[in-house]
Amino acid sequence: MSLLKPFSKLPGLCTANILLVESEEQFQQSLADALVEETAVTVNVRLAKSLPLPMENEESRPRIDLVVFIINLTSELSFQSAEASLKYLDPGYFLGKVCFMVTNARNASVPTERLDAVRKLAASLNCPLLFAEDQTPDGVTNATERLLTILKVAAGLVPMATALYLSNLTRCTVPPDIDQPSFD
Amino acid sequence: MAAKLNLSGPPDSDTSSPNDQSVSSRSSNRSLRVADKERRKNEADDPFVLALKYFSDVEAGTPVYGNDDVERNMVLVEKVAYSKGLSPETISIMLEFAMSLRMGTILCPRVLKCLIPATVVPQEAVVRAFVWLGVGKIPVSTQILFIKWVLTVFDMIDAKDQLRAIYGFIFSFVTEENLCPFICHLLYLLTRKESVRVFRVRKLLELQSKLGRQPFLLNLLSLYKVFCPELVTLSIPSRIKSVFRNHNMPWRSALIAVQKRDGSQAASSISLASTIQDKTNPRKRKHCHLVLPALCSVVNKEAQIEPSSSRKVVPLVQLHSFDQLLENMHRIELPAQMGSLLGSSLALQYLDCVQDESALLRLNFWLGYALHEEFLFCGDGGASQNSEEALQFLNKLLSTQHFLQEGFSSSEAFLYKFLNVWDGSLLRPQILGLLSNIPVIPSSQIRLLLFEPLMQLFFTSSLFFKCGLMECLNNMLLKWLTWHSVYALEDDLDISLNSHTSINMTLSGFKDSVMELVDFVGRLASVGLQLEGCHSLLLSFILDFYETVCDTFLKYGLPLVVIPPTGVFYPALFASDPVSVDRLAYIMYRYKVNLTSAKSQEKEQAFHISRQTFREFNHYATVMVNCLWNSKMFQPGMGIQLGEELLLKSNVPQYWASFDLVHHPAFMSYAVDFHQKCWPGRKDMDLNSIKHSKPWSWYLEYLFSQGYDGLKQFVQSNISRQKAAGDGQGNSLST
Repeated sequence: MSLLKPFSKLPGLCTANILLVESEEQFQQSLADALVEETAVTVNVRLAKSLPLPMENEESRPRIDLVVFIINLTSELSFQSAEASLKYLDPGYFLGKVCFMVTNARNASVPTERLDAVRKLAASLNCPLLFAEDQTPDGVTNATERLLTILKVAAGLVPMATALYLSNLTRCTVPPDIDQPSFD
Repeated sequence: MAAKLNLSGPPDSDTSSPNDQSVSSRSSNRSLRVADKERRKNEADDPFVLALKYFSDVEAGTPVYGNDDVERNMVLVEKVAYSKGLSPETISIMLEFAMSLRMGTILCPRVLKCLIPATVVPQEAVVRAFVWLGVGKIPVSTQILFIKWVLTVFDMIDAKDQLRAIYGFIFSFVTEENLCPFICHLLYLLTRKESVRVFRVRKLLELQSKLGRQPFLLNLLSLYKVFCPELVTLSIPSRIKSVFRNHNMPWRSALIAVQKRDGSQAASSISLASTIQDKTNPRKRKHCHLVLPALCSVVNKEAQIEPSSSRKVVPLVQLHSFDQLLENMHRIELPAQMGSLLGSSLALQYLDCVQDESALLRLNFWLGYALHEEFLFCGDGGASQNSEEALQFLNKLLSTQHFLQEGFSSSEAFLYKFLNVWDGSLLRPQILGLLSNIPVIPSSQIRLLLFEPLMQLFFTSSLFFKCGLMECLNNMLLKWLTWHSVYALEDDLDISLNSHTSINMTLSGFKDSVMELVDFVGRLASVGLQLEGCHSLLLSFILDFYETVCDTFLKYGLPLVVIPPTGVFYPALFASDPVSVDRLAYIMYRYKVNLTSAKSQEKEQAFHISRQTFREFNHYATVMVNCLWNSKMFQPGMGIQLGEELLLKSNVPQYWASFDLVHHPAFMSYAVDFHQKCWPGRKDMDLNSIKHSKPWSWYLEYLFSQGYDGLKQFVQSNISRQKAAGDGQGNSLST
C-alpha cells in the first residue's frame, strides 16, 4: 500500500511512461499495443487492474507521467473500481497527470445516471474525460493518438506546455444540463 | 397478393369494396382462376390458413385454459409473424380477434405483440380496433399496448383518411390519464389544419392545468399553434424538453428483422433464431437501418379514382417535374414516411417554398428520432457494422441541408448531445459538416452547447482534427454571416434567421454570438499554435478563418470588426513560410479597408466600432511596418520587448533588422536570389545592399512579381514612399 507519486523519480531522456488502469482488462491491451508503436518518443506502457500497485516492483518501476482510468460505462463495477483506485494517487497527479477514458458511452443499456456520475467525478478532480470507440480499429487508433497528445505534454516533451496548463484547457466541466429537445 | 391481383383485374372488380375481395368475384380471367384454384387447394392443407380460420370463427366465451387448439394455432401464427411477417388480411383477422375479447383479456396482449406486418396494415382493421377500444372492457395496460402498436406501425398503415375521419373519436381518449401520452403522440401524427378546433385546444389546456406542463401536451399544442396560431395563445418554449418517447419495445426489432430479410433474400434459420431471442429479451435492440424509405403514396386508391372528391390530393410520388409541383402545390399529400423526402429533390423544393410548417415539423421529428436511435442509443454500443449505412445517411442529410441551405433543428439538437460523447474520429467529416450548418446560437448558450465540448476535443486531438475543426468553424461563421446579410431587415434592428425555425434575434444579439464565436476561435488558435509548434498547416486554416473575419463589415454588412489575438498575429508574422506572411499582410490590408469604410459610415448609420479596435489595429500595423520595412524590431512600445543586454548577449548582428523583408526567414531565399540576379558578378554577398533606395524598390517589384499580392496591397495601402525608401510611415488611422 503506497501512494503513487508523480515526482519521486527522475524522468528518462525522451521517454514517456503511461499507466493504464482498467478493472476489466479488455481495452487496455489493444491500447497498449497501439501506444508502443509511437516512434517519436519512447513510450513505456504499464497496465494495472486497479490501484494501489504492488510493492515488489517499486524500485524498477519508472516515473509514471500519466495515469489513465478506463471505465466501461456498461458496467457499474468498472466505475466503482476506478473510483476506489483514485485514493492511491498522490494529489500531485491531479495537476494534469490523470485522465479518464470512457468506452461504450453511446450504448443503449447505459443508464444516464452513470455517465453523469463519471462526469461529476472527472469534473470534481479537474481531469479530462475522453470518450473512445473501443470496438473499431479506427476508434482505437484515435484513442491512442489522443492519449499520446496528453502524455507528451504530461511528460514534459512539448515545449511551452505543461500538464497543468493543458488540463486547464481540457478538464471536464460540470455535467451539462441542457434544456434542449431530447428523444429518450 | 390478393390486392395486387385485384388491381390488375377487369374494371368491374374495382367497384367492389376492398373488404370483399373474395376469390370468387374474380371470374373473367381463366388463367387467373386456375391459379386461384391451385392456391386454394394448397391453402386448404396449410395449417396456417386453418389457424386463421380458427381465429376468425372462434365463438365468444371459448375458454383459454386447457384449450390445446388455441395454443397450437397461436404458436403457428407467432412463428409466421416472426419469420415472414403477417399479411394485411391476417392482421385484420388477428386484430379483430384480439380486440373483440372473444376469448377474454388474457390472449389480447400476446396477439398484439405478434402483429408484425409483412407489407402494410389495412386501415379498416385499425379503425375497427379503435371502435372496440370504445367499448371499454379492455384493461388499460392492453389499451396502451394497442396504441403503442399503432404508433409503431403507423407508417405502414395503408391510408390515413379514415383514421383522420375519426380524429374526434380518438381525441376523446385524451382524458384518460394513462393513455394520454400515447394518444397525444398519435394525434400529433394525424393532425391536419382542419382538425384544430377551439374546443380541442381548450380541452388540452384544461388537461395541462391538471397534469402540469407535460411535454406530450406541449408538443401537440405546439403543432396546433403552427396550424392555427390564433387559437393557441399559450406561449410555448422554443426548445421543448423532450419529444414523444419511443414505444417500440416489443415490435421494432422484429419488424426490422422482417423488413431486412425482405430486402436481402439472405434469409436463414439463424436470423430467425435471433429474432425469437429478441422477443424474449425485449430490451435488446437491433440496429435499425438507416436506409431512407422510398417515396411512396399513402393516398387511398378510392380517393384517386373518385373524381368528384372536392379535396382531391396529389401524392408527391406522382409528380415528376417542377411544373407539376407548381400546379399541384395546394393539394399535395405528404408521404407517411417523412424520411423519404430527403431522397427526392422535388420534395425538398416543396419543403423549401411551402409555408406550411407541419411538413418540416414532421420531418424534424422523424429525423431527430432516427439520429438519436442510431448514434446515441446503439444496441451494440457503437460497434457499427453498418457504418456504411450511417455514412450514406449522414451524407444524404448533408446534401439535403446544402440544398435547403439551412440545418434541421433536430440535427442541431442531436449534435449538442453527440458532441458530449464523441471521440473525435467517428464519422468526423460528416459530423463536422453537420456542425457547420447549425444556425446562430444565442450567446448565453453558445458556451455550454458548443464551446465546452469542442474545446476538450480540440486540445486532446491530433493536428488534423484541429485543422478540421478550424475549417468547420470557419464555414459556420460564413453561414451565419451569409444568413445575416440575406435575412437582415431594412431597419437593421431585427433579423429573423432560419426562416423555418423562426428564431428571431436582435442585431446586437447576433453580434454577440458572432463575437463569442470569433473570440473562441481566437483562443483555440492561439493555444493550438503554441501546442503544435506553430505548425504551418494549422496556421493556414487559422488564416482562412481570419480572412472571413476581416471582411465582416464590407462583405456581409455586419458592423463588427474583431482583430486577431497576439497569439495568432505574431506566429503568422514570424512564420517561416512566405505564404503565411503574405496572407497576414492581405488580412491586415482588408482590416484597414473595412475599418476606414466603417469609420466614414459610422455617423450616418448609427453604429459604433470601439476605439480599442482601432487602437489594436494601428498597433499591429505599426509593428508590421516597423518589422518588415523599417528594420526597427524590439523598439520600446512595440509588442515584443527584450532587454538590451540580452539582445547583445545573443550575438545576433543587427538584431533590429532580423525580420525585415530581406532578413525575414520567410523571404531570405528571395533576397539571396535577388542579390544574385542583381549583382551576378559579386563574390561576397551583402544582403544589406538591397536596402539602398534603388535596389529596394527593385526588390519589392521582384517580390510582388512572385505573386505576393497581399504584401503588395499591404505596402501600397500603408506605406507612402514619396520620401526616400526605408522611411515608411506608420499607419495613419487616427483614433
